[in-house]
Amino acid sequence: MGTLTDQGLDRRRFLAAGAASFFGLLVSQALRAREASADTAPASAPAPAATACIVLWLNGGPSHLDTFDPKPGTPTGGPFKAIKTRAPSIQLSQHLPLLAEHADKIALVRGMTSREGSHQRGRYLLHTGYAPNPTVVHPALGAWVSSKLGDPSSDIPAFVSIAGPSAAGGILGVQNGPFVVMQAGVLPQNASHAPGVGDTRFARRKAGLEMLEQHFAGETGDIKVDGRRQVYAKAARLMASPRIQAFDASSEPAATRAAYGDSEFGRGCLTARRLVESGVKFVEVQLDGWDTHKDNFTRTTALMGQLDPAISALLHDLDQRKMLGKTLIVCLGEFGRTPKINGNDGRDHFPDAWSALLAGGGVRGGYVHGQTNADGTKVASGSVTVPNLFATVATQLGLNPDATVMSPIGRPIGVTDDGVLVKELVAKS
Amino acid sequence: MRALVVAVASFMVAAGCQSSSQPTARTSVEAATPVAAPAAPATVALTPAQVDPMIRAAWAKGGIVPAAPVDDARFLRRVYLDVVGTIPPPEVVTSFAADLRSDKRARIVDTLLASPAYAEHWATYWTDALIGQVQEPVVDKGAFRRWLAGRFAANAPWNQIATELLTAEGVSGEGGPRYAGGGSVGSDAGAAPMVDDPAAAGAGGAVNGAVNWFVKYKDAPQDLAGSASRILLGVQIQCAQCHDHKTEKWKQEDFRGFASCFMRTRTEVLDKDKMMGMKRVDVVDIGRPLPRFLKNPELAVFTQAPPHALDGTDLSRAPDPRRALAAWITAPNNPWFSQAIVNRMWGHFLGRGFINPVDDIRPSNPVSAPEVLARIAGDFQAQGYDLKRLVRLIAGTEVYQLSSSPRAGALAAAAAEQDKLWPRFRLEPLGPEELLNALMDATGLEATLRATGKVDLDRIRYVLFTAYSYLFDVDEEFDQTDFEGTISQALALLNGRLVGGGTSDVPGSAIDRIVAGAGTDADKIEALYLRTVSRRPTPEERDYFVRYVNEPHPADVDPPAGSAPAAGGAAGGPLARLRALKAQAQGGKKAGPNLVGPDPLGRLELRDARTVDPRRRAFEDVFWALLNSSEFAFNH
Repeated sequence: MGTLTDQGLDRRRFLAAGAASFFGLLVSQALRAREASADTAPASAPAPAATACIVLWLNGGPSHLDTFDPKPGTPTGGPFKAIKTRAPSIQLSQHLPLLAEHADKIALVRGMTSREGSHQRGRYLLHTGYAPNPTVVHPALGAWVSSKLGDPSSDIPAFVSIAGPSAAGGILGVQNGPFVVMQAGVLPQNASHAPGVGDTRFARRKAGLEMLEQHFAGETGDIKVDGRRQVYAKAARLMASPRIQAFDASSEPAATRAAYGDSEFGRGCLTARRLVESGVKFVEVQLDGWDTHKDNFTRTTALMGQLDPAISALLHDLDQRKMLGKTLIVCLGEFGRTPKINGNDGRDHFPDAWSALLAGGGVRGGYVHGQTNADGTKVASGSVTVPNLFATVATQLGLNPDATVMSPIGRPIGVTDDGVLVKELVAKS
Repeated sequence: MRALVVAVASFMVAAGCQSSSQPTARTSVEAATPVAAPAAPATVALTPAQVDPMIRAAWAKGGIVPAAPVDDARFLRRVYLDVVGTIPPPEVVTSFAADLRSDKRARIVDTLLASPAYAEHWATYWTDALIGQVQEPVVDKGAFRRWLAGRFAANAPWNQIATELLTAEGVSGEGGPRYAGGGSVGSDAGAAPMVDDPAAAGAGGAVNGAVNWFVKYKDAPQDLAGSASRILLGVQIQCAQCHDHKTEKWKQEDFRGFASCFMRTRTEVLDKDKMMGMKRVDVVDIGRPLPRFLKNPELAVFTQAPPHALDGTDLSRAPDPRRALAAWITAPNNPWFSQAIVNRMWGHFLGRGFINPVDDIRPSNPVSAPEVLARIAGDFQAQGYDLKRLVRLIAGTEVYQLSSSPRAGALAAAAAEQDKLWPRFRLEPLGPEELLNALMDATGLEATLRATGKVDLDRIRYVLFTAYSYLFDVDEEFDQTDFEGTISQALALLNGRLVGGGTSDVPGSAIDRIVAGAGTDADKIEALYLRTVSRRPTPEERDYFVRYVNEPHPADVDPPAGSAPAAGGAAGGPLARLRALKAQAQGGKKAGPNLVGPDPLGRLELRDARTVDPRRRAFEDVFWALLNSSEFAFNH
């Protein structure tokens, strides 16, 4: 239900009465932002390392032994070889050669561990930092970023999800949920005029709509009507914003587009870079297909064929534009996959020990945190729980991991589930 | 004074309160303790006329001046949305206005309750409440929905429905494609039977769609226990899953014993290797704790606990704990069962329950007008848990029939406390199902699509609904004070195919018939209003729009196909146009995460806007404005 007190409620009603026009100034929203910002890091804390986050979501649970934690020559290692990288301490799967060139920028967390082995629960955990719980719908991390760090008067959303629905705003409300675009590199659906409508006609019909809105708002005096008009105003602002062009990657040079790869995911990563440049704070790009219960090796090879150029181009681009220090990259899925190879040449779900990749945003580069045992069945040292990973990401973004919001039934819900920052992952400044 | 005491005492007896355990209505906090053994006399069935004075007494006590009564047109639209989940057809709007019978409001409620749309709507409501947004191939939402629709069509008593849900056994569905029977109001009656999966003929027991609620939680039945408690009893016990409840008296062992009841039922996936479509699941009670739960360290603690009910009643000796639990939940002396459903239904109609959130009944959560809740709950139980009767009762009350406009001067002063007693009808935005139904009915899109040839309307509805529902983040209905809409929803309505396809001048469409038909401009404007906001325009509105359609409207300079708005730097040159066209075409292909097949609205051939008469374009604009208006998008 949010953190607004009765005072805040009255203030909004007072302002709502004055915000008459369709493009009404979102003064009330700005006030809300000021109230929300009280929960960010205390005034004495240094400026956050990262101002934006890009999550590369490997949907289905990527096989860590075949990607980020290779164990060639072992019974569970599979057929892939490992290759040296630019970072002395890091070896990667042979199918990530481009990423190997950027290994000095990345931190590998090889001791990730969790207890959620089902897709739905694992996805929920890795998006919200909490195991699913019937009492409350936890917000996605992106929703926290939108709520605490976003600018509500901005004409572009703070939290964008590409090619996948991500997780919801939960108790932070749908206005902090993701703005979803199902296709990468093109303008969002419905952001263009309908067929037969141009700017002039839109302005005319909108005037008719505005007449109806004023009539109804005046009659009912209801805050929800004003809320809806504000959402419409935001939608119209997005339509007219020059920053909406960030979604359209077609104007990028051919060489750049080729570097990211001719795939939805590649275009998604390129779009993510553009969105972050335009001021979007949290972008999630999904790459689906990692649930390789069958034909793990063929399929993972193909997937890495998409992942490798895309993530490498992204790291390269951000570095070139001096954005890498301020942009945190997180690459992972809902769990890893079994060391034991099943009868279908596949690997099954494995939350006990898996890998996540971090880069940028003040994270230590060329670093491996934690390790699994010889056959990959257990975390041998440096285990990291999902809440602790979230606390690390939150801290780098300037979110207080312990900040809370009240759920509708009166429970305080924190940004993380009692997560603790993993200090070793943060570069000494 | 004495007469007053006697009156209050008899009032409280009538309200089913036991004076020893029930404090006076003044101490609303303690009154939240569930009323023990509601004992309304079985002979005197409750009527709206008996509820009204009780609410008025609460208003008087709170110094509340309620809003004026709602007019007929608004009442009609409101009751259509609340009872059958869509807006009234324009001919019903007109005939209702002309109906002079004094009981026409009660009659229209009866008509709605008797219509097939009633069962469809509530089947959708309860599928959303119980199964929600789950998209697993093992949970057959279509089969679940159809089972529910059958129960609501037969007006099965609520205690029977609850019992069947809790104790369900059988096969979850017939397999087949995911979209079949996804659910639709007004689709062709007798939906085509689903295709059997030939590979699995004969495997498993009889089909029982009700099991799908259990299947949703097959790997975590303790969550089913929490859900059952929350939805059927209004008790949020699941906090006690991990620790003794912080503020209420529930202990972990209470939860464990309760959850244990659900740990003795096996779920077996019958179509494990199937790649596409629904996978059937067989649900069978096995009479002992499931071995796989006993082996699971997290679940063993629940599985091993002896089954017992929330109040400690031992169920461990019952041969079937689910059945014993269902009997305990629906027992006449269970204080929560009737209260929970009455509170929820009241919340649905009035926008706010007696207790909020509606599924959070506990002593520390204050109750508004507890005597009314107790009276209605007692009556509901005494009259056989009849849901249609409950709807008739609520819809007939004075408080349900208030205007949504507050009394002059009451607006700024409306404190949160006063708002709890329903001083005016609460505005609520239409949910995804209702909005889609309303849009399709207002635009007559279904008829237009049918006219284009053979169409699978069930599938189109499912596709559209899936495409639009991902825009709606709503998982639970709680007491919202804000408008919870997203930019994507707004964009979809402003520029999307659904509204565009409906308002565009497609030959044979509703708007085509209105514009091409006989009548003055004022008549046509009125026809558009009746189709959308279900009322006639005011004289000012009528004059405004008649002027609008008669103004000169030169064709837009912009190209006729979908074009990006004039954003900074975006030229209108041929390349941009081509890009925009491509984006539009591609945008139509993938509208949501589970879209099946190409855009169902693609078959609509929209006239090239350059050839359309400017006056017709203007009428389209009026229609578009009405469909995008808040008046259309809210239940008020």
